[in-house]
Amino acid sequence: MLTIDFGPNGVVVIAGRLDAAQSPAAQAFLDQVDGTVTLDCIRLEYISSAGLGVLLKTQKRLMGSAGKLRLSGVNRHLQDIFVYSGFDKIFEIEPAP
Amino acid sequence: MTSHRTFRRSFDSIQDIFAFSAEVFASERIEPSLLPSVDLTLEELFTNMVKYTASTAAVRIDMTKVAGGVEVTLTDYDVGPFDVTQAPDADIDRPIEQREPGGLGLHLIRRLVDCVQYEYSAESRQSRITFRKTQAGATTSDRGTVAGSADAHD
Repeated sequence: MLTIDFGPNGVVVIAGRLDAAQSPAAQAFLDQVDGTVTLDCIRLEYISSAGLGVLLKTQKRLMGSAGKLRLSGVNRHLQDIFVYSGFDKIFEIEPAP
Repeated sequence: MTSHRTFRRSFDSIQDIFAFSAEVFASERIEPSLLPSVDLTLEELFTNMVKYTASTAAVRIDMTKVAGGVEVTLTDYDVGPFDVTQAPDADIDRPIEQREPGGLGLHLIRRLVDCVQYEYSAESRQSRITFRKTQAGATTSDRGTVAGSADAHD
């Protein structure tokens, strides 16, 4: 299961598992955001390459109009995935406390 | 003990695969911190089978508890050969302008599991991909430690 919605202060809150089956819904939501957006990942448990594709596509679109996607509350497992994917070089990542 | 189940060749089966792996981890008392890496590897291998083969046969998944972890085999029927262990790594150093979604699945699993083996029988048109994930070969986050670079398994 995956949920994605706006939280306080315009932050986008994502929770659950961002897998191949859930990625189209996440992409449809993120296609509607503009500017610099923080994605709160504190309750994101899992991401696969399909989910990484959603984040990359969104980052490319936002950076094309001087915005960006920031990732906050990233757990250790997700941090590993981002490092292995080289996403630590193209996203601002704030680890989970 | 080995547990096995077959799954319809569809993205909709991913949730059922995750339910199966969680069930085996619980019943066999396999270290829970290994589950995200096992699930990711299962998803990447299974979705490749869905996307890149014309077969309509179900995919069989076997899971066996081994010392310190688990061994998993995906068996695909009525398919041609594609050796996942020979797929090139993604170029993760490219600037974002030159990166496109896709191509990260096999790159990731080589770094998340201890080993991946591929077997193909031309006679039966059957492929078997086996991977093993153990605490001994666990990444930094699997061990729950802080800081330092994660181990890569190429």
